[in-house]
Amino acid sequence: MIHAKNLSFSYTKAPFIENLSFHIETGEIFGFLGPSGAGKSTIQKILTGLLKGYKGFVSIDGAEVKHHHNDFYETIGVDFEFPSLFEKLTARENLVFFSSLYKKHGDIDRSLAAVGLTREADKKVSGFSKGMKSRLNFIKALLHDPALLFLDEPTSGLDPTNARIIKDIIRNEKEKGKTIILTTHNMYDATELCDHVAFIVDGTIRALDTPRNLIMSKGASKIVYTYVSEGMERLREVPMRETGMDETLQRLIRESGITSIHSSEPTLNDIFVEVTGTHLV
Amino acid sequence: MRMKGLLWGDIVFQYKYGFYFLYTILTVFYIGVAITLPQSWREKIVILMIFTDPAAMGLFFMGAIVLFEKSQKVLDSLAVSPVKPIEYVVSKLLSLAFISTSAGLAIAMASGLPVNLFTLTISLFCSSCLFSSFGLIIAAKATTLNRFILATIPIEITVMFPAVGYLFGWRPIWGLVHPGVCMMEVCLQGSFVPVAFGILFGWTVLFLFFALAVIRAMLQSVGGVAL
Repeated sequence: MIHAKNLSFSYTKAPFIENLSFHIETGEIFGFLGPSGAGKSTIQKILTGLLKGYKGFVSIDGAEVKHHHNDFYETIGVDFEFPSLFEKLTARENLVFFSSLYKKHGDIDRSLAAVGLTREADKKVSGFSKGMKSRLNFIKALLHDPALLFLDEPTSGLDPTNARIIKDIIRNEKEKGKTIILTTHNMYDATELCDHVAFIVDGTIRALDTPRNLIMSKGASKIVYTYVSEGMERLREVPMRETGMDETLQRLIRESGITSIHSSEPTLNDIFVEVTGTHLV
Repeated sequence: MRMKGLLWGDIVFQYKYGFYFLYTILTVFYIGVAITLPQSWREKIVILMIFTDPAAMGLFFMGAIVLFEKSQKVLDSLAVSPVKPIEYVVSKLLSLAFISTSAGLAIAMASGLPVNLFTLTISLFCSSCLFSSFGLIIAAKATTLNRFILATIPIEITVMFPAVGYLFGWRPIWGLVHPGVCMMEVCLQGSFVPVAFGILFGWTVLFLFFALAVIRAMLQSVGGVAL
């Protein structure tokens, strides 16, 4: 679906993104994770055809993106991090307007219902909360049934219930065969949704793999348990692969002396910090 | 279909922001002023009113329209939609030209302006598109409404002064290369109406393409990316 090789771009004389190579299969959710200013938006602008002055090769469905035809935009949907909506128009009027720019038209009422905005359909967007605008912005990107979706922080500003609804819709779109590119700071969303993630720092890819592989290969899973000794509760950690050699643990199991036990794996954020030496902020 | 959607969107936007209400009030006001004027002044004052307001509204209001679209980040969505820059420009020009031409014609007819309504309509339409193109070019570069207003002042002076001079008797033949003078020549039904109309049309097309180039660059730079 998307193939990038030795992709470089610069706004000034200094390179901004350098020698990026990645491949995104049709029907997968691919996450770009990185701190602000790392180059995620620039990659998205290149993939959406807004920045054409790049070096290297980037193709979508075999066609170099800088040479794509205008019809390409019929096949992509972009959900920006910040709402891009007419504030004076109602939710429905916004969707009617943006839908009118495409050949395919989705069911506006069903889309509004899917994100819980039916009752607000005929209210002006200027009176919406941040979360309501986010949800409206999200369905705006899906209305023309695009095959390729670019989602920039789709759950930002949403409460857990609405974030769950949005994530379920994203998974549903994937099941329909859509390719989804997720740009986010949110490691939990990336771990939960993405088939592959790329860590972007200073315009370069520092790691690219499935979230599980990254977690399992870079960080050691461990067991954390507590027990009482000499009248005090004590905490002990042991790497998962060494549990058979931990005599304290073996003894406590035999004596039923464990007060709590759980396995602990590093998060994607821990791996990001370990690999890149920087935080996802 | 897409052009129709864009145009309807612009009309709805302008209606919601009160452009139609404002120009209904202004048109009634201008007509009221016109019919109280002595007959000997009326023609020139009415042409002056039409030329400096309804016809030129695009120069003033395009800043508000584009800056609203920038601040509400609507341009980001348009940049990644199938909308072509030419469609965006034409939609803006046509939607404002509809208000300009309707208001200008209403003022002309109600005040009994002795002009050919067909040529006045064409002249108003072209003038409106020309002023709107100026407005688009400035608005695409402007970051605040104050900067937009400041940047329109040289355009107003350059376009308005020779035109007003021509209206009140300063009529060198070479002045006809000036778009404002051409508007006056067409409105006044002078001796060079076909030439003036041709030149006005040429200026309109020239600045439409200039506006198109500026808007294309603006749509590619949305989101703060300067190319």
